[in-house]
Amino acid sequence: MCSEIHLSRLESIIIRDSKLVFTLSSYLIVLALHLNLNSLQWPALGVSLSIPYFLINGVFLSHAFFGREEGLFWTMFGILLLVMVLGSVGWLVMLVYNLDVSMTTLTLLITATLCSLLNRRRMKHDNAI
Amino acid sequence: MTMPSEVRTSHWIVRAIGILYVFLVALSFYLLAASRTGEAQTVWQVLHPAFLPVLFVATALLIVLSISPGNTALKMFLIMVHSILVHSLFSIIFPAGDLSGQQITLGHIRRVYDNTILHGLSGWPSRSPQILFVESLAGSNLQAALSTIFARMFSLDIFYVHLFFIPVLWGVFVPFGSFLVAKSLSGSEQVAVLSALLVSAFPYTIYFGAISVPNSLGFIFFLYSLYFMMRYMSTSDSRTAYWMVAFSAFAFLAHFLAGVVAFSLLLLAIGFKSYETNGKASTKQAALLIAFVTAVWVLPLSFICLSYFGYPVKVTFTSNRISGLPLQEIVGLFLLGDLIFGYDLLQILLVLLGAVIGALTMIYLIFRLGRAHLTKFRLSAYFLMTSFAVLLADYGILEIFMDGLPLNAERLWVFRDFLAAPFVGLAFYSIASWTKALLKVVRGKQERRTLHVSGLLLALNVLIPIVLSAWVTFSLSAGYPQVAPLQTTSYELDAVRAIDSGAPGKYVVIGDTWTIFAGERIVGVHNPRAYYFEEYDKVGHDLFASMEQNPSKEVMLQAMNQTNTSVAYFIVTQPRIGNELFYSVVAKAEQNDLQIYGAFGDGKLYVFYYEKQT
Repeated sequence: MCSEIHLSRLESIIIRDSKLVFTLSSYLIVLALHLNLNSLQWPALGVSLSIPYFLINGVFLSHAFFGREEGLFWTMFGILLLVMVLGSVGWLVMLVYNLDVSMTTLTLLITATLCSLLNRRRMKHDNAI
Repeated sequence: MTMPSEVRTSHWIVRAIGILYVFLVALSFYLLAASRTGEAQTVWQVLHPAFLPVLFVATALLIVLSISPGNTALKMFLIMVHSILVHSLFSIIFPAGDLSGQQITLGHIRRVYDNTILHGLSGWPSRSPQILFVESLAGSNLQAALSTIFARMFSLDIFYVHLFFIPVLWGVFVPFGSFLVAKSLSGSEQVAVLSALLVSAFPYTIYFGAISVPNSLGFIFFLYSLYFMMRYMSTSDSRTAYWMVAFSAFAFLAHFLAGVVAFSLLLLAIGFKSYETNGKASTKQAALLIAFVTAVWVLPLSFICLSYFGYPVKVTFTSNRISGLPLQEIVGLFLLGDLIFGYDLLQILLVLLGAVIGALTMIYLIFRLGRAHLTKFRLSAYFLMTSFAVLLADYGILEIFMDGLPLNAERLWVFRDFLAAPFVGLAFYSIASWTKALLKVVRGKQERRTLHVSGLLLALNVLIPIVLSAWVTFSLSAGYPQVAPLQTTSYELDAVRAIDSGAPGKYVVIGDTWTIFAGERIVGVHNPRAYYFEEYDKVGHDLFASMEQNPSKEVMLQAMNQTNTSVAYFIVTQPRIGNELFYSVVAKAEQNDLQIYGAFGDGKLYVFYYEKQT
């Protein structure tokens, strides 16, 4: 019960994204992923950086499209939607040119921006109501 | 506020079962890792003998947890971990996963990962504009993009990401999708949880969840399109319709088959929705019938249309398959397809069991759906039943009346199983609830109370979990093949890696089909720097046949000239061609002064090389 409340509070903080802290965190994560790919190439670092990226943008997307539904539904759908957005942006980038390291970074940045914009749009809509 | 002692005891027991379950799942993963081998044909040859018993007990405990009251999110988390375990046998045990077409998919995706091509994958040798258009939409491009992005995010080679791509995605999202569909059908979270667990009891879903091919990705998106179709029928929110279309489109992007089936069921969903609106009864019935007939024929006709898009397939309607066959064989073909030829009875039973239980539950529900408390779920239930009928009809048409299909009609069984899983969950949950209700009644009575109560408790907490757990565990034996060729071995991969790291320039490799499979996994297909002939390439086969007869520099030079490369390697593997031929080829190669590049797998594989003289 306690962990659920903590998770729910964390989701609320991410959704509010005050001063774009989480959007900027996403960008920083993408930058770190890019640097890791070009220099260190540590899988442990890549995986640990990817988890917050998935969490932040997954929460943004689930809020943008489904609002506040049940807890499990909320988190899982966010991640599935993120996979879909990453897949479609990556698919388009690949068809237009390719998916080398720079283009993958671009894909991650576009996805993060898209997720943040959709979340803010939903926030405005919720506040208006 | 203090809890009653009975509730406290029950909580304590559930918690203890949970802890024991986590321990057993960790042990199962360990046993799988301990079974890892460099050379095997099937997982059954090398699987640790303790794995199945441990999995059986773990599954039984998970079933007990699923039917006990408790946190749904936690139950779902445990089910997802269990599902990943069940679908990871190939990826953990074999050095390069199953030989099932996923090596070709990896070979193509690697080209994207290694930046050896631009603008995605065309997929087919001929590149007519129609093919490029369809392949861009419904080829391997979506999986290529996702795998490449994940590989770069995790800083892992695409080989490892590809191996676990579908087992993990499937393990997480298929139980969750099944949960959502079952919840829409029944309104009960406990039915949904049971359904999420039992979706792993269908052999074909186990198999397709264990191999990383575009079709498997398509199945995942199809399941969510199905959920949104059910939601579309129960809500007036227009956004649900967009989601229904979006997930169907994604299923199509992932794979042609999943997309076409999703869109055909989407037509049916629209038909059902319009049936609920006001209007003349006969018109609505006619519209629904048209929607059903259209949904049935969309898939067979889409295969016929493939050749119009320039695909090198010729799909036709035919009656040749059944002409002269007795009626019972025709019925057998319709229900079981090629399973009726040469498979054992247990295999057939396991493939059919879930679908039959699902179908029986559907029939039972048809008689009960008139009851007031079930009205809310009536439309969803009828939609799922009709979709099940559409898929049965499609399977019959594809299996019996069509020729030249580019894929096995049995793939439709995965869709069928997805539709049956919620009904199976409902059936077993009803049995458990019925036992619980009976237990309450019996507890209140004095006569022979102890005997009755212990009998029912046994049925609820022991028999149901044991039966279901045995079903899930046995289904593994039908899901993972019992007979298979030798999988790509660790020494074949080592040889391919060693050649790639040591080659002085562009090179060509002459080898058998199995060598090509290993090459595809490590350097990709059509790699201009590391040339492996495609598995269907006659030139490659002829060159290997010539080398088998007389391994010579001339043949290797011919291969180099044909591929514009400067070094040629020749790989010969003892378990692939047999002892006698292997030693004869190695001896002849040495007589003909071919240099040995390396011996791998304790001398089971030899690599010879010859460099073009400048």
